[in-house]
Amino acid sequence: MSRSWTLLLLGSGVALLAALPALLSAGLLNASIQMLIAALFACAYSLLAGRAGLLSFGHAAYFGVGAFATLHAMNAFAGKGLLPTPLLPLVGAFAGLLVGLVAGWFATKRSGTTFAMITLAVAELLHSLAPQLKGWFGGESGISAMRMPAWGLTFGSTVEVYYLTLAWVLLSLALLHFHGRTPLGRLTLALRENGHRLKFLGYDAHGVGLSAFVVSSMFAGIAGGLQAINNEAANYVVFDASVSAAVVLNSYIGGVGSFLGPALGAALMTFFGYAVSDATRSWLLYQGMLFVLVMMFVPVGLTGLFGAAARLKARRGWRLAVSVSALAVVATLCAAAGVVFVVEMLQRLCSHDYRALAAMGGSWPPIALFGRSWPPGSVATWLVPAALLAVAGLLGWTARRALVSPAVPQPEAAAIDGQEALT
Amino acid sequence: MDTIFFALLNGVIHGLLLFMVSAGLTLVFGMMGVLNFAHASFYMLGAYFAYTLQGIVGFGPAVVLAALLAGAVGVGVERWFLRRVHHHGHAHELLLTFGLSFIIAETIKLLFGNHPVDYRVPASLDFAAFSLGSQQYPVYRLLMGGVAIAMFAALWALLTRTRVGIVVRAAIYRPRMAEALGHNVQLVFMGVFGVGAALAGLAGAVAGAFYTTNPNMALEVGVMVFVIVVVGGLGSLGGAMLASVLIGVITSLAVGVDRSIADLLAFLGARSWAEGIGGLLTLKVSSLAATIPFVLMLLVLLVRPRGLMGEEA
Repeated sequence: MSRSWTLLLLGSGVALLAALPALLSAGLLNASIQMLIAALFACAYSLLAGRAGLLSFGHAAYFGVGAFATLHAMNAFAGKGLLPTPLLPLVGAFAGLLVGLVAGWFATKRSGTTFAMITLAVAELLHSLAPQLKGWFGGESGISAMRMPAWGLTFGSTVEVYYLTLAWVLLSLALLHFHGRTPLGRLTLALRENGHRLKFLGYDAHGVGLSAFVVSSMFAGIAGGLQAINNEAANYVVFDASVSAAVVLNSYIGGVGSFLGPALGAALMTFFGYAVSDATRSWLLYQGMLFVLVMMFVPVGLTGLFGAAARLKARRGWRLAVSVSALAVVATLCAAAGVVFVVEMLQRLCSHDYRALAAMGGSWPPIALFGRSWPPGSVATWLVPAALLAVAGLLGWTARRALVSPAVPQPEAAAIDGQEALT
Repeated sequence: MDTIFFALLNGVIHGLLLFMVSAGLTLVFGMMGVLNFAHASFYMLGAYFAYTLQGIVGFGPAVVLAALLAGAVGVGVERWFLRRVHHHGHAHELLLTFGLSFIIAETIKLLFGNHPVDYRVPASLDFAAFSLGSQQYPVYRLLMGGVAIAMFAALWALLTRTRVGIVVRAAIYRPRMAEALGHNVQLVFMGVFGVGAALAGLAGAVAGAFYTTNPNMALEVGVMVFVIVVVGGLGSLGGAMLASVLIGVITSLAVGVDRSIADLLAFLGARSWAEGIGGLLTLKVSSLAATIPFVLMLLVLLVRPRGLMGEEA
């Protein structure tokens, strides 16, 4: 893609984001705020995991510290003086930076699994301490604060909070992007590729790793601060392992190889969570399945698929690229529909109410799903997902054959070495 | 005195149980260099398998079958998931197991509901072994400890006294050399992964009846198992045993200590200073019991990253 195209795409994306409050309901706007925060958090995380190659399993620590620091600042300054409400995320940034500096100093002395374990230990330490330290984290109930008016804005409506979040997220994403262009950002990449070589070239590998850690935790702190401003409260649950887990899943589903991949992954997952969590209790199962599938078949992440499609077009012409992509999309949809059917049926079959009903009636009553009722005992019911999965398999096989047919070197390898092409 | 004795015994037995879960993980970690995030999920699977089978075949056979089933799942995971992403590197394998642990936990919630299930110690094993003072000690706890010790002995004997053990250890320390000598290292990986999963499943089947069996039990044990593997040392069974018992005893004893760091500083005449600072210094040790293992883990990682009994990397 040429430079002007990229700029055009980015510009329209930003314009769309700016126009959202006029287009969406209050509930969806609130979901958009969550999506923006998750996107920033994922980008901050993937600076460390993607660009520096340091897999952290405890990034909730810096997110949470940013949130609590911001809440304390909200209470202390009451929207006046040096820190009016729009500047409060700076406190989160500073807190994230400070804690990141201390934790990162020790963690980045090691790499690989040991690094991951240190970050995990730090986060678990905070998580287990936080409910005890009532002065700092408010115990089990947490602490709360009020958004105060500043700069002629009341921050009473979701729209104003949305614009505040959007401004901070866009600024932070721009800064994170430019970090990759600076010499330090290039060194961070070098650290991922070969830390030993970096050392032999005379650079301070520990310092480079630490800088990546600190920048990452600082932006995670901003994300936490924005979350605190949005919710006006936080408790020790923000340190939970599930928060650290979510950011890892989001980033890798989106693809840590590209800059916006994690942001898109996080926005997508947060939106899915918002939209689907009301419809089904199995939302986390779908998320886990998606993650495992991405890890196994598209290791570069979902955004990596675009790159793979572009390379296919360059090598084999657009006709084949379009037909194979279409086949793959339809196959994926069929497979997803089949799996969703089975999972939802199982969920209803295994639910407490249904089992009680079945025990009482002595038979298996039909299950209402997707606007129809399905008798669980009949073969026809289970033929539906079986057929969907069979179609998916057939289409997938056809797409694969089309790819492999005339002399083309290893289509699967092309998908894998996308990692290098993307970064 | 009685309370300390009971706390000590409980700590040791809890530690032994933790060892059962971490033994498989430490072997896999030593062999493949991959921390298997899904390992504690096998512990949970064991408990749920045993709970399901208990009504059909009875308690004893259910425990054995549950361990075997968990092992079979482990073999499947290695064969069809881990091996496929092996060439992408360690980080990828780690992330994959991370996703699998998610799927297993959510599937359990889907099938059994998001609440504890009624899996308990059978009446025939539910009596007191001995009593000391006014307290009685349940025989099932001793049984759990006994199973763990028997397992440690069997594993140790298998690894150090048999031909299979020689091949496994060779594959752990020098996989390429073992392969060059004509041993099927892939098969060894799969076997060790399966045995590790089966041991975790056994621990789950045995412990699930005593503690609660719920969809969060993998999370509760999961992090502690990492602590043990890290503190004990890469691939060292003895280290895992030492770390498990250490952590079991420390947390068990810490729960009973009603003192804070400020009380300790009082000996130096600094009590009022410490109370003035507040925060960490005035917290009672008992409320820090959950924190101590992580402090220990951080210390070990920083001071001696290869662990208490690990080999020099």
